[in-house]
Amino acid sequence: MTAPDAAAARRHRGPARPLTRRFRLGRLLLARRWRQSLQFRAIAVSLSLTALAFFVTGSFLSHQIADRLFTDRLGQVLAGATADFEEVQASFDASDASDRDELQAMVDSTLGALSTDGSETERRWILVPLDYTSGQTLIPAQSQSPWMTSSTVPPELQERLADQDGVYWQPASVRMAENGDEVPVIVVGTIVDLYQNSPYGLYLVYDFSDPQRTLDAMHAVLLLSVIVLLLLVGAIVWYVTREVVRPVSSTARVAEQLAEGDLGVRMPVSGSHEVARLARSFNRMADSLQEQITQLEQLSSMQQTFVSDVSHELRTPLTTVRMAAEVLFNAREDFDPVNRRSAELLYHQVDRFDSLLADLLEISRFDAGAARLEVANVELFSVVQDVLEAAAPLIVSSGSVVQVRSELGRCTVQGDQRRIERILRNLVVNALEHGEGRPIEIVVAESETAVAVAVRDHGIGMTEEEAAKVFNRFWRADPARARTTGGTGLGLAIATEDTRLHGGLLDVWGAPGEGACFRLTLPRTRGRRLDPEDPSPLPLPPDARAHPERAEVTATGTLVLTPAPNSDRPAGPHPAGAEDPAGTEDTAGTEDTAGTDAPADAQEVQP
Amino acid sequence: MNARILVVDDDAALSEMIGIVLTAEGFEPVFCYDGATAVDTFRAVRPDLLLLDLMLPGKDGIQVCREIRAVSDVPVVMLTAKSDTVDVVRGLEAGADDYVPKPFKPAELVARVRARLRPVERASSAELRIGDVTIDVTGHSVRRGDQEINLTPLEFDLLTALARAPHQVFSREMLLRDVWGYQHAADTRLVNVHVQRLRSKVERDPENPEIVVTVRGVGYKAGSSAR
Repeated sequence: MTAPDAAAARRHRGPARPLTRRFRLGRLLLARRWRQSLQFRAIAVSLSLTALAFFVTGSFLSHQIADRLFTDRLGQVLAGATADFEEVQASFDASDASDRDELQAMVDSTLGALSTDGSETERRWILVPLDYTSGQTLIPAQSQSPWMTSSTVPPELQERLADQDGVYWQPASVRMAENGDEVPVIVVGTIVDLYQNSPYGLYLVYDFSDPQRTLDAMHAVLLLSVIVLLLLVGAIVWYVTREVVRPVSSTARVAEQLAEGDLGVRMPVSGSHEVARLARSFNRMADSLQEQITQLEQLSSMQQTFVSDVSHELRTPLTTVRMAAEVLFNAREDFDPVNRRSAELLYHQVDRFDSLLADLLEISRFDAGAARLEVANVELFSVVQDVLEAAAPLIVSSGSVVQVRSELGRCTVQGDQRRIERILRNLVVNALEHGEGRPIEIVVAESETAVAVAVRDHGIGMTEEEAAKVFNRFWRADPARARTTGGTGLGLAIATEDTRLHGGLLDVWGAPGEGACFRLTLPRTRGRRLDPEDPSPLPLPPDARAHPERAEVTATGTLVLTPAPNSDRPAGPHPAGAEDPAGTEDTAGTEDTAGTDAPADAQEVQP
Repeated sequence: MNARILVVDDDAALSEMIGIVLTAEGFEPVFCYDGATAVDTFRAVRPDLLLLDLMLPGKDGIQVCREIRAVSDVPVVMLTAKSDTVDVVRGLEAGADDYVPKPFKPAELVARVRARLRPVERASSAELRIGDVTIDVTGHSVRRGDQEINLTPLEFDLLTALARAPHQVFSREMLLRDVWGYQHAADTRLVNVHVQRLRSKVERDPENPEIVVTVRGVGYKAGSSAR
């Protein structure tokens, strides 16, 4: 189908679809309104119930009135008709007409008198021979008006008349004037003896359009009043529910504003009814909420000021102590053994005190909510390299070989370089501390939405129970175990906070005797939070052997970089993506000549 | 001649300790203990470098820094007890060249001081150009046409570092190493703030820089001289 055809088809289908759509839309809108608006619901319910009540009472009323109207008139009509019939019969009986013409004249005069009867209801007579099919009649069927014939009379009535003596009536619908509309009538009939056993049916047709008109008018009035009443009821219900619902919805509005943090909003209070009571207690709640939040805010800002003050007050003397300790430490060769050892202890413990203080301050900054991210594009490999360079002395003393493994040449993430570096440093230091001198692997991987770095050691490992507590502050796997690195016990707690600030996840795996693995997963872009259900780019623990080696820090503290498989990348001569502080130009040549196993570039990082 | 260093810090013990360390390294320390007299002392002493505590009685260290920067290009290194973003950035924006967070080691302090005092080796060409700006390296001056642009030594070093390799993109870490003399990773905000300060002086429109161009996600480079 070409495009114009399709357009034509659409046009063709056009008129039908919007209608059904509009209908469906209207229904949906109504359903939504029903669900959302209490007022709408109240009005709808009361209108339908009132309408039902009106319908029931209205039809009862109408029925009763119609019945009464009709019955009354029928009684009058029947009484009048019966009297007239008797009169006609008497007049016929008294007649001495002997031939057909005289008879006709007699009938004319008698029935003529009938037609001039002064009752208020218009009526017409019809005289039909009872056995009019035989043709042997004295005079033919006749009626007051020429357009009324014997067929005007309902056949059932004629049959009933033929069966039995008496006055009978039946409703029918007949034209009362020439070329007029058919109107409801009552046909009353009886048998009259015209002349020596020649029975005729005499019918009187009464116009009943009058009571019908009355009834119609009454129906109209009734309908009108029902409509007016319904409108009134709707308006009343609308007003009443508005009075009740309005405070409720204004309460909802105020509550929403409160929830959005506008603590100053209050509900207007007037009177002492239930709604006013609601408003008052609502306002009281808002007051106490505001008070508590303000109090908390004050506490938090006091805490922050305190932290900042402590920071300044403690750091200045600590700086002096530290400098003095270092001067003493540098001069220790000139001291006697006791003073020398004292200077050494002083120097190292001041260092430890310093890092403990720094960690404590960092933790209080997190607790005060004062920690902020400095987001930039962070290249993970260069961060890893920096961390390894800084940890080189520790690597040497631990005896572990640290390998960096990944399929990637570069891996960037939006984050806070300082914090990511601190997280990784904490993980690496932790691994070195518990790695028992066995190899440590750092695996880097990425997915579309996240990057992951796992640090795996093969040391003493931990039980599940221990793994659950490992991020707790000052928690130690084995209190009896000596600290080799002088860690503060806050490293992993700070790493957790740093990770949370990034919207990332920090997970741990451990098995006794097999080692432990910490996995950091960060969202690639800022502002996104990772869901614990989301799959991380790396399993826990990852299969480190499955990833090609990128770099290795040997037990002597030398960082050896392995060239990336896709060396055509312009990312830089280093697969680790870091800048080369030494001559950059030379390295490209080294890479070309590098053998498969030979390190492309070795860099001494041991200070 | 020994470099004279003015130490402005209200903590007498720390000042004395800094003095001991600086003297041991061959510098000549002079002390000032409050912010109110810092600027006057600065004028009287005419130091080669200023070590400035941020929290001072009398006058805020940031204010002192701003006032001194208004009259002098002497390198200013802040001593900050808070390494929080706001204070450090405010100090740098006030004109400080670098900062040392407390508690620092003597070696760190000395390294910062030396880095800011070191005579800049100028082996290459005496005149460099970025865009319509001319740098006279030997004369230590920067001009646009006939108009002299007044830069602090640090800003001059920053501009020169970029101008020496016109086509190279410098990462913030490279600039920290080349201009500030950091051997290890340091605070990249130093670079950000000083690039802003430099731009406010050398660019025709600092909002649309043409001399110091940002390379997104990498760092900075010199603007093209072909105009």
